[in-house]
Amino acid sequence: MTTDGKKSAKLRKEELAESEVGGRVPAMLLAATWLVPGLGHWILGRRVRALVFGAVVVCAFTTGVLLSGEMGTPKPQNPFSWLSTFACLGNGILYLVRIVWINGLGEIFSGFPFGLAGGGNPSAAGYAYGNTFLYTGGLMNLLAVLDASDIARGHKD
Amino acid sequence: MDHLFLMLWHAVLVSVFFAFLWRRTARGRRNLFLKTLVIMVVGGTALGWLMYPFP
Repeated sequence: MTTDGKKSAKLRKEELAESEVGGRVPAMLLAATWLVPGLGHWILGRRVRALVFGAVVVCAFTTGVLLSGEMGTPKPQNPFSWLSTFACLGNGILYLVRIVWINGLGEIFSGFPFGLAGGGNPSAAGYAYGNTFLYTGGLMNLLAVLDASDIARGHKD
Repeated sequence: MDHLFLMLWHAVLVSVFFAFLWRRTARGRRNLFLKTLVIMVVGGTALGWLMYPFP
């Protein structure tokens, strides 16, 4: 086979693969994966991975809270607080429930976004460790969302 | 509060997560888990010792 022939065969193969996999991922699936750690993998039939991801994220989040870590919330004059908010928001429903628990339902709407308290105790010995666990749990869950997206599109097993 | 225990616990959680994220076979997962766990624990301890003289 000539070089051109090889190239066109390779292109055809790639096009075929694109048509077989690819496609759009249901937004609800991604939302479910984010909101409840492990749920997306459970829906996709990856039960063991679902349980492991769910357990890891819940353990990291719980450890962070028990160590008096502070949930990331946006603060004026502090652009880095948006990064911590993004990382903590990755914990899904755990973050939302914790924020409502700390602020109360009324404050959520009146204080949004800069008036929200993140809880935690900066003078506690485990404060920095707790923050690390909270950020890590959220970021791992966001990676799980990307993994579920790849599985749904057929790019991964 | 035991700092070493917290480091170990964090390393275990992250290692388990990435082992299941990146590997599909039980053997592959076990190997990656052990590799990342050792790297994080030994690396963290070594960095701690290296930082010890600094204020």
